[in-house]
Amino acid sequence: MEFNRHISRRLHEEHDATLTLWGRVESTLVAGKSDPALLKSAAASLSHELDVHFEFEEKELFPRLAAAGEADIGELLAEEHAAIRAAGRSFIELVRSDPDAAQLRPLALELAERLFSHVQKEEMSLLPMLEDLVDEEADGELTAAYTS
Amino acid sequence: MMFPPGARSRLLPMSLPFRFFGAAVVFQLAAWGVLFAFPSELISFEGGLGPVFAALHLVTLGVLAMTAVGATLQLLPVATRQPVRSLGAAKLVWWLLVPGVAVFAGGAAAYAPGTMGIGAMLTVLALAIYAVLLAANLRGARGMKGVVAHGWAALACLALLAATGLALAARFEHGFALDHAAFRAAHLVLATYGFMGLLAIGLSNFLLPMLAVAPTPPAPIAYAVLITAIAGIAAALLGYALAAALLGLAAAVVHTVALERALRARLRPALGTGFPLVRVSWICLVASLAMALAMALEIAPPRALLLFGLLLVPGWLLTFLLGVLQRIVPFLASVHGSTASRGTPLISALTPGPLLAAHQVLHVAAVAALLIAALLGEPWLVRAGAAAGLAGAVVFAAFFSFVLVKVRQHGIQPPHQPATA
Repeated sequence: MEFNRHISRRLHEEHDATLTLWGRVESTLVAGKSDPALLKSAAASLSHELDVHFEFEEKELFPRLAAAGEADIGELLAEEHAAIRAAGRSFIELVRSDPDAAQLRPLALELAERLFSHVQKEEMSLLPMLEDLVDEEADGELTAAYTS
Repeated sequence: MMFPPGARSRLLPMSLPFRFFGAAVVFQLAAWGVLFAFPSELISFEGGLGPVFAALHLVTLGVLAMTAVGATLQLLPVATRQPVRSLGAAKLVWWLLVPGVAVFAGGAAAYAPGTMGIGAMLTVLALAIYAVLLAANLRGARGMKGVVAHGWAALACLALLAATGLALAARFEHGFALDHAAFRAAHLVLATYGFMGLLAIGLSNFLLPMLAVAPTPPAPIAYAVLITAIAGIAAALLGYALAAALLGLAAAVVHTVALERALRARLRPALGTGFPLVRVSWICLVASLAMALAMALEIAPPRALLLFGLLLVPGWLLTFLLGVLQRIVPFLASVHGSTASRGTPLISALTPGPLLAAHQVLHVAAVAALLIAALLGEPWLVRAGAAAGLAGAVVFAAFFSFVLVKVRQHGIQPPHQPATA
């Protein structure tokens, strides 16, 4: 889908990067291979995702959805954020403290699944809605807030 | 938080789409069961009333239309950014459609046109209410213009389909004089390539890339496919069989190639469950149009019309729909099962891999056996195919029940294998 707003395009690009990285994580682990550098990179990326991307969506975008009568979608996405955060924090901690831990593989696979499913929903519902809800001025403000 | 029913404006209460899917599960069992009980009737089937006619409509109305209604009620609001206008009307569609299909099929199987007529009226009423809901949604649609255009074309076909269906039912009941062969052919084309086909093609362009985490096919290609398909349907309605087959074949090939190219660019390596059935369905779609072409050129094998119908209904439409259901039932159940206190269920925990693999094998075996039976004219092969289809339908019912139980329990464990959506 083509996005006209800067903020939608920016989030879409980050989604693509997330999917590409976690696609590699998933296929590596399913093939039974070990790649500590890849998991480290995934943990670093996830940390940014949780601290910046999720925070921004929750503070800036979901309230706008609610104000426009679309609270349901925002609340569903927020519930998924909570689940991803819980698994993500454990994953980041394990990669840092015990990269050989047996529970790292199932945790990474769970995260890959949750991230894929979550991004699908945001691409299908959140970003198209932003195209409707955000005018040019708000687009500039949101993009500046996100990139600052 | 757990949302009360209807609180999520564009996410319908789970019971709404799932009641349609559940009815489709039951009607699929009935369709295969009828075919299993009357295998020799299929070989000699020429379109008249009886068990095969009943089985055909159990599939087209009971499974295909039923699922299309349930799926579009949930998926179109997401694509068009418009809520369903009336949940009560959507529920009424189910309450009319389910008995309508049951009475219609029962009347047809019992050679009772009067009973069939009652079922036809209920069914047409249900589809008319659905058409109003669909039109209201499409009229206010924002975004996904390609999906919306396919929706309007499908809606037009649905209106003509209902009109030809009522005319045919009136002929059976009251002996109205009409060109039976022409009306029957128009009814078949409008139901399969028209209403169901255009909906399937339109939603495929949005849904399959979403499920596979892939880009959508380019919009100009999607529009070209739509225009070509509409031209093919119009040609078929006007009796130009050769032109219809060629146009349909071109649309089908371009559609499948465009989607295959989109899927190749996916970001997630594993395609997962459901897609093998979708690919089999595409082969059957193209094969059905190749068979139509052979019939138009008068180079088709014996029982070509039967082969064409088998490729079209169980081969393309039913197989496609079952493949998509394998994916969207766990996906939608996961969405509906999400709560702040217990989190979102993992789709992999709602996807019983071995069960779905068994369903795929049984369904494909059933379609293959029916095609071979039609080629050879062997009723015992029809029974074998129907037995495989019935077993597949039982396994599919088990899968559907599994998802309902799991989402109710919501006792989700981390997966040990990658999920499918």
